[in-house]
Amino acid sequence: MPDAKSTASASSNLLALDPLREARQVSITVREDLDALLSTKSGKYASEDTSLVVFGSLAREEWTSKSDLDWTYLIDGGANSDHLKISQEIQKHLKEAGYVEPGPTGIFGNMAFSHDIIHQIGGQFDTNKNTTQRILLLLESSPIGRRTEAYERVIRAVINRYLEEDVHPLTRDCKSYRVPRFLLNDIVRFWRTMAVDFASKQRDRAGEGWGLRNAKLRMSRKLIFASGLLVCFSATLDTDLNGQISTDKDAIKLKLVNHIRDRVRMTPLEILAKSIELYGVPDTTGKQLFGAYAEFLDLLNDQESRNALKGLHASDSRTNATFRRVRDMSRVFENALDHIFFVNPRVAPLTRKYGVF
Amino acid sequence: MRYVGFSTGALALGDFQAALQMLAGKNCSAVELSALRQEELGPLVAQLDHLDLSNFRYVSFHAPSAIEPVFEADVLRLLEQVALREWPIIVHPDAMSHPREWARLGQHLCIENMDKRKPIGQTASDLDCIFETLPNAFFCFDIGHARQVDPTMSEASAILQSFRDRIRQLHVSEVNTQSKHDCLSLESIIAFQRVSHLVPVDAPIILESRVEESEINEEIQSALAALDPATQLAVAGD
Repeated sequence: MPDAKSTASASSNLLALDPLREARQVSITVREDLDALLSTKSGKYASEDTSLVVFGSLAREEWTSKSDLDWTYLIDGGANSDHLKISQEIQKHLKEAGYVEPGPTGIFGNMAFSHDIIHQIGGQFDTNKNTTQRILLLLESSPIGRRTEAYERVIRAVINRYLEEDVHPLTRDCKSYRVPRFLLNDIVRFWRTMAVDFASKQRDRAGEGWGLRNAKLRMSRKLIFASGLLVCFSATLDTDLNGQISTDKDAIKLKLVNHIRDRVRMTPLEILAKSIELYGVPDTTGKQLFGAYAEFLDLLNDQESRNALKGLHASDSRTNATFRRVRDMSRVFENALDHIFFVNPRVAPLTRKYGVF
Repeated sequence: MRYVGFSTGALALGDFQAALQMLAGKNCSAVELSALRQEELGPLVAQLDHLDLSNFRYVSFHAPSAIEPVFEADVLRLLEQVALREWPIIVHPDAMSHPREWARLGQHLCIENMDKRKPIGQTASDLDCIFETLPNAFFCFDIGHARQVDPTMSEASAILQSFRDRIRQLHVSEVNTQSKHDCLSLESIIAFQRVSHLVPVDAPIILESRVEESEINEEIQSALAALDPATQLAVAGD
């Protein structure tokens, strides 16, 4: 039974914490500024076949003063050599405007093609870059400007692709949707890939940037993972969705596609807040989770703390005061997640069934 | 100064009066009066004496894009009235059931190259056959159609090399995969710049982009930039 204290207004209050509200407002402004900048410099930079998509903190609406601008020029159309020119022009204008360039992995800051994102799910050609682009497209992306057709098509195509592989979308008694396992497994794989890459980057970059990457892994990356799991679990738990199950086979899948599309339209924090509301998670847990996350954004927004983390090597982590703060807030965050995923009577059985084995 | 303006059909479909009102006070020196549906032709022709076109230095007329064979003679009779005004009459090749009959429009007949949906008229070789039948006809080069058919602009280049001397006017827009006319994106501007050196600099530009009134001037600037030979990026096909 839902906790009586857990209400819709309580969950919206969680999102209203000052650092979260401010980051959300700044993110919306930055996205509008980006569109205005590129429209002024390049005219209509996107088209029916192309969309400019941002990822990371800007898409999650958690933009802080020194955030990287992770973007990609998403192409869903015929091959055209001009796409590279446009992508390079976007890159040039963003750099000139002073936006912090994406990291050196090459996942962002250039073009991405829908074919690989949609077709190469699993198998030997699903590269780390491709998996990252696909999962982040679902869980933390936002199109810039008015031309969003290509973005919308690709998102729906990716969701469709995941669901095509699940032969039986409903339980045996046809009373509820099953958790979309293919999608869930890819989200779990992505989380593990990020964790493994954390160690790989530490080696490749000789420990540079360890503190900031570790903090992100404990907080924002974990948030994406948790929100992705909750999107998958919502197929089974959402009473509205399950109340609409029909006998029309096509409608069954379409409703699930639409449900997942609607969920991933939300930011990860909104997904968490909605889940807390729907599944009767106690207020105290919600407050712990969002309080810790708000503290994390505050810390990233503070240049001194951010620089301290950026310059921190693993060997100094136990004595560094800033990192101690990160560790403390990430423990609170994780405890709250533990409560949702391992204690909550609606979510915990699904975590047990799908989370590990 | 190059003549540039809009098609009334792009701005307000069959409501040419509303379209002309939208163009009032804008930087337009050209207009194309559109009767894209067969039933729009009679009313438009009947109103021609009453339209205030004094702001436009160049006026053309777009014939219906599809004509039932049984009405072809009636359509031609109406278009002959338009031809008396010395306006170019833009015609889709597949709309003519009896192409030779259309020679009656003489040098006012202006054949347009087509988009992917149409059965003929997309390529230089298609157009060659059409102009063989109608040797006195002129040409309306739809650069958006040409790009939709071949985004590399090689076909556009071939068309321009063969028929640039026949060009009477240009149709400019971004033609999407559903063959609808969109605003010019950076992608289409870059593509058009590739062949801009082959486009006669004095050919009037008629925009077919579906825009709001507030976007008219901006779209005109985009079209002028796309067809300015000075901004040509790379040469395709020649």
